Amino acid sequence: MDRRELLKKAIKTFFIIISMISSFILIIFLYPRNLKKKIVYFEVLKEKDIPKKGVKIVTFSYQKGKRNIKMKAFIVNHNGELFALSPVCTHLGCFVNWHSINQQFICPCHGGKYDITGNVIGGPPPAPLTRLAFKIENSKVYIGLKL
Amino acid sequence: MGKIFDWIDNKFSIKQHHKKLFYRALPDNVNYFYCFGGIAFTLYVSLLFTGILLSVYYVPSEEEAFQSIVKITKQVRLGWFIRSLHKWGANLLIFFVILHTIRVIIHRAYKHPRELNWVIGVFILILIFASGFTGYLLPWDQKAYWATVVGTSMVGTVPIIGKHLLYLLRGGTDVNGNTLVRFYSIHILWLPFITFLLLWTHFHIVKRYGISGNL
Repeated sequence: MDRRELLKKAIKTFFIIISMISSFILIIFLYPRNLKKKIVYFEVLKEKDIPKKGVKIVTFSYQKGKRNIKMKAFIVNHNGELFALSPVCTHLGCFVNWHSINQQFICPCHGGKYDITGNVIGGPPPAPLTRLAFKIENSKVYIGLKL
Repeated sequence: MGKIFDWIDNKFSIKQHHKKLFYRALPDNVNYFYCFGGIAFTLYVSLLFTGILLSVYYVPSEEEAFQSIVKITKQVRLGWFIRSLHKWGANLLIFFVILHTIRVIIHRAYKHPRELNWVIGVFILILIFASGFTGYLLPWDQKAYWATVVGTSMVGTVPIIGKHLLYLLRGGTDVNGNTLVRFYSIHILWLPFITFLLLWTHFHIVKRYGISGNL
């Protein structure tokens, strides 16, 4: 093999490797993510413990990989409507607290305020609190998270 | 080349017509300063490909543009990588196009018989700058917004017709959703297409007259 032929081969190999890497990146980039996410339900309360009126804080924990994650959520009974709210502030993701005196969820980080149904009434949050999946089965209350 | 390519080439005969480009004589003393144009073209091609990839996930609307950029950088696999390639490729393209222009000026390569190629090159330079300017608005964050407000308001200082040029460019009195869609269209369709045609003529003239000799 002479010099010219070797260089030609080297350039050819270089381009083949580059195009293989590129097509691999292309497929990885275009393939949709989070396909496997489904709602997992956690038992948090007995049905008789549901508040007659107002907000109840519930806590539960789950495994994510090797970590044990503690999560809390709000069970709200407002004018007979029953729903579960995520405590994660839509501004930067701190946990909001329920202030029963002025009937507001207040975020300790930047003072975002939400009313009892989760709508923003003050502060920086761009969107209302997320409503979590919620179901009652066999007189037990379940909250669903997308995992 | 491979058998399949040879079969296609038998019908299409693309190899014969480009032999002149690959096997042309080079002047003596050609050095690495002659690479700037080639580097710029390579960056242009890489920007075309990464741009096509980004357009799969980007949403050019007032509400969703910034969110889609966040999604590309944080959720999409290798999205941060493709976006960085596009961003840094754009910066480097402008850098190398300017270096190429300076090289042409220093070597007096714009002289006869290559005057037309210089004119085309200047148009390409302007189009590259325009691509950079329109692409800068697309992330739709504070920096992009105010840079575009300042940049477009310069057009308004043109005597007599300035105001109308400004409205034409912005698609309204202020920079808003219309401007975003307008700039998006210009950035991904108009400019790359016109630049492609001009680059083709640029290279055609290089093929015809060859590279100019050294100083």
